Amino acid sequence: MQQKEKPPWWKTDFGPPYFKDLMHPVLKKNYGKWAYHEVIRPGVIKRVAESGDTVYVVRFGTPRLISIYTVRDLCDIADKYCDGYLRWTSRHNVEFILTDESKIDDLIKEVEEKTGFPCGGTWDATSGKYGLSNIIHTQGWVHCHTPAIDASGIVKAVMDELYEYFVEMKLPALCRISLACCANMCGAVHASDISIVGIHRTPPLVDDDAVRRMCELPTTAASCPNAAIKVKAKEKTLEVDGEKCMFCGNCYTMCPGMPLFDPENDGAAILCAGKVSDARHPPELSKVVVPWLPNEPPRWPSVVEAVKKIFLAWANNAKKHERMVEFIERIGWERFFDLAGLEFSWHLIDDFRVPPFMYASYRVGTQFRW
Amino acid sequence: MSETPLLDQIPDGPWPSFVKEIRKTAELQEKAIAEGKEVKMPGCAKALLKQLERSYKDKKTHWKHGGIVSVVGYGGGVIGRYSDLGEELPEVHHFHTIRVNQPAGWFYTTKALRQFMDVWEKWGSGLLNMHGSTGDFVLLGTRSEYLQPMFEEMMQMDPPFDIGGSGSDLRTPSACMGPALCEFACYDTLQLCYDLTMEYQNELHRPMWPYKFKFKLSGCPNDCVAAKARSDFAIIGTWKDDIQIDRDAVKEYAKFMDIQKEVVDLCPTKCMTWDENRKSLEIDNRNCVRCMHCINKMPKALKPGKVRGATICIGAKAPCVEGAIIGWVAIPFIPADKLFERIKEIVEPLWEWWDDEGKFRERIGEFLWRKGMGQFLRVIGEKADVRMIKHPRTNPFMYFEKKELRPSKIVEELEKRGMRFKSLDREEEEI
Amino acid sequence: MAEITYTEEEKQKVLEKLDQKTWKIKDLAKILRMNKKVVQKIVMDLIDEGKATYWSSGSTTYYATPRYVEEYEKKRAEG
Repeated sequence: MQQKEKPPWWKTDFGPPYFKDLMHPVLKKNYGKWAYHEVIRPGVIKRVAESGDTVYVVRFGTPRLISIYTVRDLCDIADKYCDGYLRWTSRHNVEFILTDESKIDDLIKEVEEKTGFPCGGTWDATSGKYGLSNIIHTQGWVHCHTPAIDASGIVKAVMDELYEYFVEMKLPALCRISLACCANMCGAVHASDISIVGIHRTPPLVDDDAVRRMCELPTTAASCPNAAIKVKAKEKTLEVDGEKCMFCGNCYTMCPGMPLFDPENDGAAILCAGKVSDARHPPELSKVVVPWLPNEPPRWPSVVEAVKKIFLAWANNAKKHERMVEFIERIGWERFFDLAGLEFSWHLIDDFRVPPFMYASYRVGTQFRW
Repeated sequence: MSETPLLDQIPDGPWPSFVKEIRKTAELQEKAIAEGKEVKMPGCAKALLKQLERSYKDKKTHWKHGGIVSVVGYGGGVIGRYSDLGEELPEVHHFHTIRVNQPAGWFYTTKALRQFMDVWEKWGSGLLNMHGSTGDFVLLGTRSEYLQPMFEEMMQMDPPFDIGGSGSDLRTPSACMGPALCEFACYDTLQLCYDLTMEYQNELHRPMWPYKFKFKLSGCPNDCVAAKARSDFAIIGTWKDDIQIDRDAVKEYAKFMDIQKEVVDLCPTKCMTWDENRKSLEIDNRNCVRCMHCINKMPKALKPGKVRGATICIGAKAPCVEGAIIGWVAIPFIPADKLFERIKEIVEPLWEWWDDEGKFRERIGEFLWRKGMGQFLRVIGEKADVRMIKHPRTNPFMYFEKKELRPSKIVEELEKRGMRFKSLDREEEEI
Repeated sequence: MAEITYTEEEKQKVLEKLDQKTWKIKDLAKILRMNKKVVQKIVMDLIDEGKATYWSSGSTTYYATPRYVEEYEKKRAEG
């Protein structure tokens, strides 16, 4: 298939473009020589270099899934205001870097008019005023094959409800919300202040006919992390040990004859009180506080309500700079469940595996003394 | 009546709507066709909306997985997708993903992006993710036969863009904006990300390991790219000497900030004192754990020290199979100017060991749980350091090395009888 | 490191297996009772020659012949 002569421009393994070639000259000039920053209003970060050069980074939330035509609109704006440069953040925000403070208002107006992307998502530790950042999320029903919930639709419903916290800075501390549409978590949301995770609750329903037509039996059986799949050689199909299945969907990836979807039983678990930053409190995993909520497209009212309860219990009661985990450690989980109006049930007591003792003694994060 | 009554309710509300983005694509792609532009996937945005509407009605996905990776020479970066409604919606029957290796720090010129949008208008759905969770620039939806021509167009762009990772390979490394915009960066995250990506192009494009492996790079312990939670090998900037302090700037902050309450009282080790009368801040740096809180609060006054480098945290991953892991300290400190060389010396034997002895779908974190930190340290050639743990072990079930056992008649006799036990040959592990 | 070498016969054996299903290198080495490094080298060479190719589950990667993968994918697409 690749025997034909390669054209002269042919190349492989050339890697990404060199980042400095795509960087505004003022950033190149002051590379590694920034002095300080301050957030002058929601969505606008002023960054000052040792040289005295000043840039204004203006941040907008995007829905992550965007159109080439929107990217062209953003390019038009970047050409007009930013000499043809722009960047994205790790949380699906787009940033324009201005050197002229007087253009900020026009830029914001133009982005909001052309794309509807709101300016915000920043926080200012100095003043202790924090805005909510964008929700990082996965594909969901838009493009994933093992989701238990949609991603973009839930994010939209939650962010509509929490919009004011994105465009203003009125939270006591940083709050990272994230969503993964199944427990494989290609988004890795397990260390967030609030995370929404899609869970399946039923094992795959084997479609013998599809298995025979489309699947390699031993490879599919081997894909199971818990050895829950047996090959039925005589019948040329597969059998699932329901006792061992953890509903991960690996077998469905290997074999379309192993669908594990149950529209009535798939849904979302909600976790909270995780973080990755070492600021004050070391990194910590999130904990499940709502075991399951149903899929309710198109607006997911139950999920939105639960997230809002958790969010507000924290936002209205936390002290300045106190993130979810710090807040709950201070008041205690028993008080937190009361405040958030959540029910504590047996599901929330871990019974999955024997926890690895040795990991409990490993140091996560970078807080240690020299 | 509308064909998508459920999706019609999505754009309500102030947050930007992905449905609006898909509709915009459908509309403008039609316009492009009418203008005579070449579009290979006509009607697919509209068909995607129909399929999504069906998912909203059925409360389940309608995508199936495909395994094609057919870009000549590469084994990763393309993820196969087929619709299970292919007969009804032939426009999205094949709807594969291409992961594109993003520039470090997600910096773009409009020139580069416009070229990209032009070729994706021609060869694909016109939809993309800016960006995927691992950091790639993700192109959503094309047919198998368009993968190769799309990649060939990418090769010829100025600058050219290469394909990212997927499958059991090195995933596309990603980094925070680091020294390009941030005064906290303790090493050059962008340059190191670029250097690692270029050094390991083969590992990125030709999967051969038990499972995936991720590098993520954050310039300071604030960890804006969440490296500690999601990368097998997290490189977190830190420093070894004293926090740099500008005493006049501290006094300026004191005019509007309650330094005792908001800085000193929140220090996790209480290593700071504030003298309100003299407006003077003292730091017991020997007791500082470099959490960043005071520096975040007063960026004009406090800065990381001058002896800079990074801590390596190892093993982070999502919950499947043994549970979620946040990376733990594997190497407390590597000086900034030694990072690239030292990381190479560490990961290459680590990969070889994991490739030889790792189980199918076993991430490095779970692999090290199984093998133990002792053997890990021998493989990477590092000494044990108390900074790797919160506290020493609580059980006395240790296996010593043979050379640590005293020569004795009993050992001699056990060996003579062919008795094997762990302390006899520490390196040779059971499976 | 010494150059990894193999015989034409070994290469043929690997190719035959690759035409039957998707494989991980480790399993292929096990069933053929060959050294993993040798099998890996053979598969990489076969890929360069266009006689073998990758199949990926998205998270993990397998190897087979292009003929097998094409047929397998066709079945999966058609359902």
